Amino acid sequence: MKREKRVLILGLGNPLLGDEGIGVRVVEELKRLELPEGVTAIEGGTAGLGLIGLMEGFQRVIIVDAADMGHPPGRVVRFTPLEAQFRTAAAPLSLHQIGLGEVLALAEALEVAPAEPIIIGIQPSRVEEGTGLSPEVQGAIPQIIRIILDELDAS
Amino acid sequence: MKDGKINVHYVTRVEGHGNIVVDLKEGAVKELFWEIPEAPRFFEAMVRGRSYADAPHITSRICGICSIGHTIASLQGIEAALGVQPSEQTVLLRKLILHAETVQSHTLHVFYLAAPDFLGVNSVIPLATTHKEPLLKAIRLHRLANEWSDLLGGRTTHPINMVVNGWTRLPTPDELRALRQHITEAIPDLEAWVGIFKTLDIPDFERETEYLALQRDDEYAFYDGAIASTDGGTTPVPQYREKIHEFVVPYSTAKHTNAARESFMVGALARFNNNYQKLSPLARWAAEEMGLKPVCYNPFMNNVAQLVEVAHCLEDGVRIINELLAMGLKEEDRSIEIKGGTGPSTAPSTAPSTSLRAGLRTGVGATEVPRGLLIHEYTVDDSGTITGANFIIPTNMNHNNIERDLKALVPTVVDKSQEDITLALEMLVRAYDPCISCSTHLLNVEFV
Repeated sequence: MKREKRVLILGLGNPLLGDEGIGVRVVEELKRLELPEGVTAIEGGTAGLGLIGLMEGFQRVIIVDAADMGHPPGRVVRFTPLEAQFRTAAAPLSLHQIGLGEVLALAEALEVAPAEPIIIGIQPSRVEEGTGLSPEVQGAIPQIIRIILDELDAS
Repeated sequence: MKDGKINVHYVTRVEGHGNIVVDLKEGAVKELFWEIPEAPRFFEAMVRGRSYADAPHITSRICGICSIGHTIASLQGIEAALGVQPSEQTVLLRKLILHAETVQSHTLHVFYLAAPDFLGVNSVIPLATTHKEPLLKAIRLHRLANEWSDLLGGRTTHPINMVVNGWTRLPTPDELRALRQHITEAIPDLEAWVGIFKTLDIPDFERETEYLALQRDDEYAFYDGAIASTDGGTTPVPQYREKIHEFVVPYSTAKHTNAARESFMVGALARFNNNYQKLSPLARWAAEEMGLKPVCYNPFMNNVAQLVEVAHCLEDGVRIINELLAMGLKEEDRSIEIKGGTGPSTAPSTAPSTSLRAGLRTGVGATEVPRGLLIHEYTVDDSGTITGANFIIPTNMNHNNIERDLKALVPTVVDKSQEDITLALEMLVRAYDPCISCSTHLLNVEFV
């Protein structure tokens, strides 16, 4: 599978857990737009360490995910891993406990992914079983798309 | 450490996820709990009232790592309930994509989670410096598995091409030939890792237990089979409740299980112990190199069994591709025929049918996912709506066995420091790679 490996937009989360699915929802939305050449939008789901293989070889990665940042619901924050500290499991007992923090650290150590991914975090209102987003997070989608398109313009 | 408590607690979104609690008194275990919640119960509620066609896609979200296996177990359960017999081509393609998931999950687990333990470092990060070449080989294997599941499933996770009674998109012969080429090229990477693992010191610990896995006469069973036990005998999948008993323990919201003995194990080691004779030549070579022989009662060897299975899946993947190419893939009619009643009627497999025979139908699907036997049972009514579901994930079947292993392990390490005891217990749990809170990965961020 050859692909133009320039920019990857990676939407994370589980759409069956309310706002936790925002990353996946944004990727669906992006696929309806005409993205510039060399830009790939894919759903990473909750693949954990499996994300390393997905990010490999791209020049830039933009990650979209629900993030508990202590902000009001629907707030969108663009940040890099250097600006954030992820609360992670110290010695994971299971692949299932490995989150984005560990994934990014390993990808950097192995030099297989872009050095500075950009994360677009959305503060969720409701993370519980059930499909559909809260009004606050649903309402943030146009802003998230705009931030992503601005990032693409800048690259 | 003769007295004192060990508490291994993990930060996850829900309280009480994956905790090990040990209370030692004069070198003896006073109390030991392995606390874990039931993961997929809410998915059972989520599929009730939905069309049968929705179940595979919904249940693929139960797990970000075993999404292909959940999809397959769900398809099997639904097809059994509806009396649908998928074609040979459909089944072969399912077997092929299931191998992709086994390679994907086992490589991640063996190389990123287990290898650091055996190489004496606390995470995979230091290995990026000391074992960079082997890790890059692991990443290549993992990338191959991603390409493999992407080609067949339409995505690297949460496949969309598999539906009731068929596939919405078939791979082309050229795509299959390219995949075969890439699988063949990956075999030296696997062989290199076998070379590393044969030098590692795997803890010498044994506890005799029962091992359950699907079994077939003609192949090393992953996709389907009867439930076999190392204690003897097989149970047809629809009668799984006669073999596997679920029960509740007070300190855990997850159900525990037993079969012939007080506990049993499922997973790579259980499959190896039941089906060793059916392994491919490369896999048998890998087992011999790493000193794994059936019946092996050392749960730490589950990691080695996983590596053996990676070898099997690579070699068997090539075999299946050859078979598919020889058959020639063709578009098939996916409409489903309902057996019984007043005669056959048909319904499109992507929409609920109004012409199903009256009454409730139950079907059970069972497949071997990376962590072991996975069971999906569905009841479907005459409009094609799901009225009930029961899912038993491998980790739930293993809880009881993990706890008994931990209890047996503690006395063998009790003279060590608290830190070393804790590490031994963690390594044991890691060998099972239990499913812990896998349906969500919410980022938890503090800004610095």
